[in-house]
Amino acid sequence: MDNIFKFSFGILATLAFAWLAFVVGANLQYGDLSPEAENFEDDGSRPPDAELYPKDMSGLAKQGAEEYLALGCVSCHTQQVRLFTKKDANGKKVVEAGFDIQRGWGKRASMPRDYILQDHVMLGNTRIGPDLANFGMNEKDNDWLHRHLFEPQSLVPDSICPPSPFLYEVSDEPKDGSIMVDSHDGEDEGNPKTRYVFPSIRANRIVGYLKALKQDYELPELPFVKAKEEKSDSNVITTQGIPDWVRYPVPSSVLTDLSSQMSAGKEVYTKIGPGGGGCVTCHQPTGLGLPVAFPPLAGSDWVNGDKDRLIKISLFGLMGEIEVNGVKFNGAMPAPGTPPGSLTDQQIADVLTFVRNSWGNSASAVSPSEVSEVRASLKDRVATQMWTAAELTSHSKPAQ
Amino acid sequence: MKDTAEQVIDRSAKTVVSFFVASAGLWLLAAALLAYIAAAKLTDPFFLSSCEFLTYGKVKVAQANAFVYGWGGNSIFAATLWILARLSQVEVRGRIMLLFSGVLWNLAISFGLLGILDGHMNAHEMLEMPTVVWPVLFISYAIIAFLALVIHRSRKHSDTIAPQWFILASLIWFPALFLIAWNGLEINPARGTLPSVLSLWFGQSLIWLWLTPMALGAAYYVIPTILGRPIDKYYLAIFGFWCIAALAPWSVVHHLEGGPVPMWIPAIGTVMSIAMIFPIAVASTNFHATAFKDISKVWSNLPLRFVIFGTISYTLSSYIGVIFSLPDVAKLTQFSIINEFHFNQRVYGFFSMIIFGVVYHMLPKITGKEISKSAKSFHFWTSAFGVLILLLAYLIGGLTHGVLAQQPSLDWSSSVISSVQPYFKITKYAFVILGFSQLVFVINIWKVIFPNPFACCFTSSIEKKGKTA
Repeated sequence: MDNIFKFSFGILATLAFAWLAFVVGANLQYGDLSPEAENFEDDGSRPPDAELYPKDMSGLAKQGAEEYLALGCVSCHTQQVRLFTKKDANGKKVVEAGFDIQRGWGKRASMPRDYILQDHVMLGNTRIGPDLANFGMNEKDNDWLHRHLFEPQSLVPDSICPPSPFLYEVSDEPKDGSIMVDSHDGEDEGNPKTRYVFPSIRANRIVGYLKALKQDYELPELPFVKAKEEKSDSNVITTQGIPDWVRYPVPSSVLTDLSSQMSAGKEVYTKIGPGGGGCVTCHQPTGLGLPVAFPPLAGSDWVNGDKDRLIKISLFGLMGEIEVNGVKFNGAMPAPGTPPGSLTDQQIADVLTFVRNSWGNSASAVSPSEVSEVRASLKDRVATQMWTAAELTSHSKPAQ
Repeated sequence: MKDTAEQVIDRSAKTVVSFFVASAGLWLLAAALLAYIAAAKLTDPFFLSSCEFLTYGKVKVAQANAFVYGWGGNSIFAATLWILARLSQVEVRGRIMLLFSGVLWNLAISFGLLGILDGHMNAHEMLEMPTVVWPVLFISYAIIAFLALVIHRSRKHSDTIAPQWFILASLIWFPALFLIAWNGLEINPARGTLPSVLSLWFGQSLIWLWLTPMALGAAYYVIPTILGRPIDKYYLAIFGFWCIAALAPWSVVHHLEGGPVPMWIPAIGTVMSIAMIFPIAVASTNFHATAFKDISKVWSNLPLRFVIFGTISYTLSSYIGVIFSLPDVAKLTQFSIINEFHFNQRVYGFFSMIIFGVVYHMLPKITGKEISKSAKSFHFWTSAFGVLILLLAYLIGGLTHGVLAQQPSLDWSSSVISSVQPYFKITKYAFVILGFSQLVFVINIWKVIFPNPFACCFTSSIEKKGKTA
């Protein structure tokens, strides 16, 4: 206590424990969340070609988030629908709708995954105004939003939301693109005054952002709350069973198939010699390839595109001119494996899944059965006959 | 007549402490003005609505920052330097550096607040000032904290006592908190709601680990000094200190109850909040058992009256905080204006009242000039009355707000918020009273710091003449 260094060590250690939990621990637990399909298959794997949520916002909406932040809207508006749980008759914990959902502020509670693509997460802590996590779901049109932004009282007489006239050009005469507002601002309170407002780019950004705020998809960790009458309560309380891991975001590792494919695929990708694909020698550990000589896999329209084509290339190789992301390459790629074409269906599925989900790529996994299907359909093809890009593009569906 | 050791120390601290107290006072007034504007905007949405610099959200945030960093920061520096110097029995050194860092700190906050009003707010709680000002704030803080630690290291007695633990802990915790938050939010930002957890933790810890220990340390110093009697059950103080150190960093995240974070985060906060009963009870016992042995002196001595008001407020606010952290209660009130109750209770009812007492105790010793008792008394009553009204309005208003918000059948603005409106009006008047009270405080302290503002050059030239003659 009397030695300042020992003392500092003690008080910093107590702080460090909290840091370990709230920063390091929380990050380990759910820092690796990524967009996910709405539901999993029965075996716990992601359905092939499923849409992934959340989706990224448009550029306009992202700029709108900056404006929303700068104006301090977060002081009065939260963006989180809370999760309410209760014990049912059997003592099992179940999700109930809760006040937030009954108010119509969302179809389910907000989950950590909903926020992973936002630059500024503004959960807020005070609701002087309503929650906005799902504001975009209420399908107000742009004019309504602009009127509300210009002067909330013109639409909601009792609102105490401050008007933002500085975002608009105001005039008493209509002009092209301007919106009519019944303004209550001014000396004559009883009679609204008709004004015409022309939104600035900033107003349009904010409106874009507000319309983009929606958690209108289900997540594997929490589906929508389904309406179901319950006798005991006068309110319509909606309940559903709660799986053990609800509330705990599902890290990617829950998708056991995917993660084992990823690690096996990585081995095939990097291993040179029998049992490996040796892909790394040309396409590089970074997946960027080498300029002029070898095309990149990261961000490649071929890799993220049609699976059939990729399987075909993996079985027989590819030669001649090929255009990847608008850049032309001209070389030859033997079928991966030592000797070429010796990889099993499982190995090809693994390595393709790996390249389709590494270096920023995010495409559906490839299963061994898909590979064996393609292999069976091509059983008459001579093993040394490499594909040409032209042949593949004419044969298969266009890239997704 | 030869000066006593105390007088030598006080004189060495005079310029620096006066500077910090004077600037703290100005920030207090700035915060009071912003608080009034924000409260007025809630009662009349058209008030100043055409001015983009003064949207409610910006003003609210600027007010909290001016209050915590401007008033809180400056007054913490003043009280820390003086109390540590007195307890260590050494003079304040590095005065030029202290003044330089102080100016830097205040410039950075001014720039930061203007940045907020100009629309460059950060999304992190209590780190809203624009990114560029933080390195400056951190460096100026580091210099001041280092020089305060130098005072402590050169102390005459190696033993330390409770006020030193609390004040040093507050001094060291702030930069540590800041570095943790800065690393997690700016240098290695995580995605999703992780930064929200971290910034909430920072914002709440700032009050629990920076303002609170400072005020507790000051109370541990001022109460026995003025009363001339030791702290009752002093042996408990060390237990109370380590309880706060161990529990407070955890107890601050129960605000995320039901939010989009793993469930253990708010749960751990709730458990630790309840455990905070122990350190609160310790501090309360220490302060109040001592004070109530000589209650007439507490009443007649104004600095002490301020401090005891603060400690009682601390005890009450902390117990109320425990109740509101229970999950069922939290679900009702967590997004209501009860948050304003907690913030104002802690930084005004507790921290500021104690600091007022410390300043009134410290300034006459440093400057050798007394502050008139009636002026102090006026400040006390207006402050006590204003803060009581404010807190009651936020408490009852917050409960109304919280309970009505959970009735899905009630329309949001015409029923829920309209019912809270009267309380917004009361807070507006409370902020007027408080602003008036703070003006009296600033006049009180400026009068002793700058007794004759227009004649300073004149008097110093007379002194010079006197010396040469």
